[in-house]
Parts: sequence; C-alpha cells; structure tokens
Amino acid sequence: MIEQREKYSDLIKSLPNPGLGLGLRSKHFNYILENNPEVDWFEVISENFMDSGGRPRHVLRQLAERYPVVMHGVSLSIGSTDPLNKEYLTKLKLLAEEVKPLWISDHLCWTGVNSLNTHDLLPVVLNEESLKHICNRINQVQDFLERPVVFENPSTYLTFKQSTIHEYGFLRYMTEETGCGLLLDVNNVYVSGFNNDFDPVHYIHQLPHDRIVQMHIAGHQHCGTHIIDTHDRQVVKDVWNLFSLAWQLTGGVATLLEWDGNIPEFDVYHNELLKAKQHMSSILVVDQVTETQEHGEEAVSNPVDFLVNDVVVN
Amino acid sequence: MESNIFSLKQLQNWMQGMLVHHEPLENGNAEVPVMVEHVVNSSERLSAVKHLDIYRYSYIARLRACMQSQFSALAYALGSELFELFADQYLDTYPSESYTLNTLGEKFPAFLEETRLDASQEEKETWPDFMIELAGFEYALSVIFDERANENNTVTPNNTPDELLKPAPVLHLFHYQYPICDYYLEFSQGKEPELPFPEESYCAVTRHNYKLGLFTIRGAQYYFLKSMQQGNTVENAKNDLIKTFNFARIELDKIWPEWKKSFIEAGFFVAKNVKGP
Ligand SMILES: [Fe+2]
Repeated sequence: MIEQREKYSDLIKSLPNPGLGLGLRSKHFNYILENNPEVDWFEVISENFMDSGGRPRHVLRQLAERYPVVMHGVSLSIGSTDPLNKEYLTKLKLLAEEVKPLWISDHLCWTGVNSLNTHDLLPVVLNEESLKHICNRINQVQDFLERPVVFENPSTYLTFKQSTIHEYGFLRYMTEETGCGLLLDVNNVYVSGFNNDFDPVHYIHQLPHDRIVQMHIAGHQHCGTHIIDTHDRQVVKDVWNLFSLAWQLTGGVATLLEWDGNIPEFDVYHNELLKAKQHMSSILVVDQVTETQEHGEEAVSNPVDFLVNDVVVN
Repeated sequence: MESNIFSLKQLQNWMQGMLVHHEPLENGNAEVPVMVEHVVNSSERLSAVKHLDIYRYSYIARLRACMQSQFSALAYALGSELFELFADQYLDTYPSESYTLNTLGEKFPAFLEETRLDASQEEKETWPDFMIELAGFEYALSVIFDERANENNTVTPNNTPDELLKPAPVLHLFHYQYPICDYYLEFSQGKEPELPFPEESYCAVTRHNYKLGLFTIRGAQYYFLKSMQQGNTVENAKNDLIKTFNFARIELDKIWPEWKKSFIEAGFFVAKNVKGP
C-alpha cells in the first residue's frame, strides 16, 4: 500500500507542464480540425467521449494525435457513500488507453447517492470520517486505473456544521494518504472563499504546492451576496492575481481556461487564455476586467448543458 | 443541537432529497424534522437556507437546460413555458441515474405519453400525439448521432448489381402519424414551422462522415427497406411488396431504377464485399 502510494506520488511529481490549454468544446470541433490552432494542449470532459461511437470520439481520435490531452471527469463522485461505479471506471480506463492522456482528473465532491446523479459537484463534509472514506476510494480508483488521479477543489456554496477540517488541509491529507495529485482551480478558491468567508490567499498558501499538476482559471458571476461559478465570461482581476500567486508558489504548472456557457468563438477563447502569460511574473498588468455585480436568478453554477451532444444534421 | 446528527450517508441522502425532491426524503436518525440551520452554516451574507438554495436552484436549472438542448425542436413546438413545466415534472419523476447526460431524456417520450392530460378521457386531443412523436424522434437522433457503427464512408457506385446491395450500417426507419421529419428539418434549418395536421409519414435517417442525413420517404419505400433490413435481397424485398401491398410487378420494375438511384445517393445502401472467385 505504502509502496503504491509512493509510486503514485513520484509519478505525480514527474508530470510535465504542457503549457496553456483549452477545454475542447463541440462548438470548436471544425475550427480546430481545419486550422490546427497553436494551443499547447486540450482538456476533454471524459463523459462526453467514453460512450461516443460517433463524431465526438472521431474528432477526439484525430486531436489526440496532434495535441497533448488531459482527461477531466465530472462523474467519479469520489465523496459519495454509494459504491464506486465499476462500469464508469471501466469505460474511463478504456478511453484513457485510447487517448493516452497526460493525466486523469476529477473533483473533490459527490454527485449523488442511492444510484441517482444530480450532475452537480456537491460539497463533501470535511472531517476525519469522510477523509478516511474518500482516501480509501481514491486508493481503489488509482489501483483500478493503474495510475494516480488528480483532484480539483470544487466551487462551493455552503459549508457543513459537521466539517472540522479546512478544505486545503483535507486536500493535503488526501495527497499524503494516497499519492494523488491536485488540480488547483484558482477561480473556485475565490468563489468558495467569498461564499464561505475564507481568505483565498491564505488557502492557496496552505496547499502542498509540489502536488499541484494543473490549474484552472475561469470567469464567474458576482451576485452581490454570493458568487456563482458560471464559466461564461472573462477572468476578473482578483482571480488573475490569485493565479499569479499560485504560479509563483508552484513554480508554474499546466494552466487551463474553462469556458462552458456563452462559449465564444475560438480565437476569443484562446486570447483570454493567453492573458495568463502576462500574469506569470509579478509585473503590474494593465487593462484588466474588474468585478461587476449582476443580480439575477439565471446564474447557474457548473453549467452542464454543453455536455449534451449537438446533433449535426447534414 | 449536537452537530453530528447525521452519518455521511444520511447527510448525503438529506441534501440530495432537498435538491431532487425539494424536501428531505428521510430525516436521518432525528426524531424531529431536521432544520437546514442544524446542518449547514450561515455566513456573513447568507443564511443557511440561502446557501442550500443556491444548490437547489442550480440543480433544476442546469438539468432543464440539458433537456432543452436534447429536445430543442420539441421545446420550440411546446413553447418554453410549457416545455419547462413538462421537463421539471419529468426530472422530478425520473431523476437521472446515469453518469452521462446524454441519456437524460431517455424516458421523456414515455413520460409525455403517461402524463398526457387527456389520458383518462375517451376523446383525445391530437397535439399531444405530435409532441410525443417529436420527442421520440429527437431522442432517437441523439442516439444515432453517437452510436457505435461502421461509418458509411465508402462510395457505392450507381451501377452496383442489385444482388450486391445491402442496407447501410447506419440506417434507421421511422413511421409516424405526423410529418415529424419535415417538421424537424424545417426547425433545424432555422425556419419557424407551424403545428402540423396529422398526416402519416415515413422517414429514414443515415449517418455519413459522422453527420446525420434525414430523408422523408414513401410508405412503400419504408416497407421495402424494412424488408431488406430483415435480411432480404432486393429481389425478395420486391416480392414482399408485391405480396403484401398488391403492387403490380410491372409497376415496381418500372420504378425500381429510380428508387435504386436515390437510395444509393442518400446512402441507404452499401455494396457487399465480394470475395473469392
Ligand atoms: Fe474547474
């Protein structure tokens, strides 16, 4: 067990930094295939491709030959008290054999219980009981996939009375107990920090930086009393500042811009990502998007409708 | 109140109940209903209930949006208000049990059938029939779009002998009481089709280079292609038509070259591999 953990841990530490990446979205399939844009790598949502026998899988096969790919999942449900879904894990493993991703990631969350799936990344209780439960499941998943898995801090909108450990500490224990890696979503830290009254800067300082293999940046909607992680717009100044901090502390890791709602044309998406280059050093950056508040009932966290196939009719 | 009122499992059941059924299904081991305030912290700006409400609101809004993308023509036909009403009821009755969202709407056509307002009346309205057929067709398209199959990517020459023709690997045939395919095509071309009158219709769906082809066909062509899908040769499928529909042999032979040409062009047929001497 300890041997396995060391092995996974070493593997995590030896992962490369492929640079600045984008999420692969069906809206951009044709553009990417025709133009071969100079993107360092792509992140693909595993669930979108694991059952596909049609166009999504066909496109992914071609892209995986041209670009490094990372597989990012939303249905592992590592925190659930349901048994692990063996069918899902089997398909995940098969897809990985085909795509050969640099790594496989998912979230510190649960998505449902009693065989239901809410398709949301629900917050886990942060205490010793759940830490033990989750580490046990991470071990099982990693042994089944025969590789370490990378876990992302989700955006959260509540905390439980039963929680006794801070999220950064929980993530640190996870890495120590299982050898898993971390995906630091700096926007999620910002969102969760605002919603649950914690300091995002302190949070980022407390993480085990040598276990962070990837970062996410994204836009969000500020609703005054709370922030919703909408992934539907540009990144705000405060989040770029957190990115700069995390870049310094980690020494620079693979970075990906998430954009899942109101998905813009490819070059707009790519240009927003490239702004990251200006934030890799601490030199002052001008022309940043500052926070504006927008009240409205429409904001939805972690939008998922982009995960439904767009049927293409000739 | 003591804070560890729930085991992990009880807590997840409680929270999921609040999201999916708008209320907890069970109250864990507590004898009195569990208050949100006993489980969730309040913060500087939000009460515990407001914190939980963010998840409750997002749950339904996000899945409703998925239903909208999976059934875009139906959503147009019903109007967004009525569509939302049906979608919300559906998600309430059949919450997702799958790791993938692609099957979220699988039971929606059956749900619309089960819950039609006139289900118990003798005299039925006709528009629900149209909506149910359209929902079934849209879901079928999403399945065909992503099904595992050998892609129809070889060109079948027009002069392929009849005995070497077989149905393409992706060829699905539909029979409806409404002009579903025409309606769907008009909608997907950005037109604003009106609610159609009942009219029996047949259509074929193919996939070529991973894109769907939708074709309205005639009844006789539908039965002919069905017969070939059951393993019959062109000749036997023709004989089937003659026997079942009292077609005159001479008429069928006259029209056959035209059918053959358009079927091959539409990608309904591929040529069998001929091996050996
Ligand atoms: Fe993220």
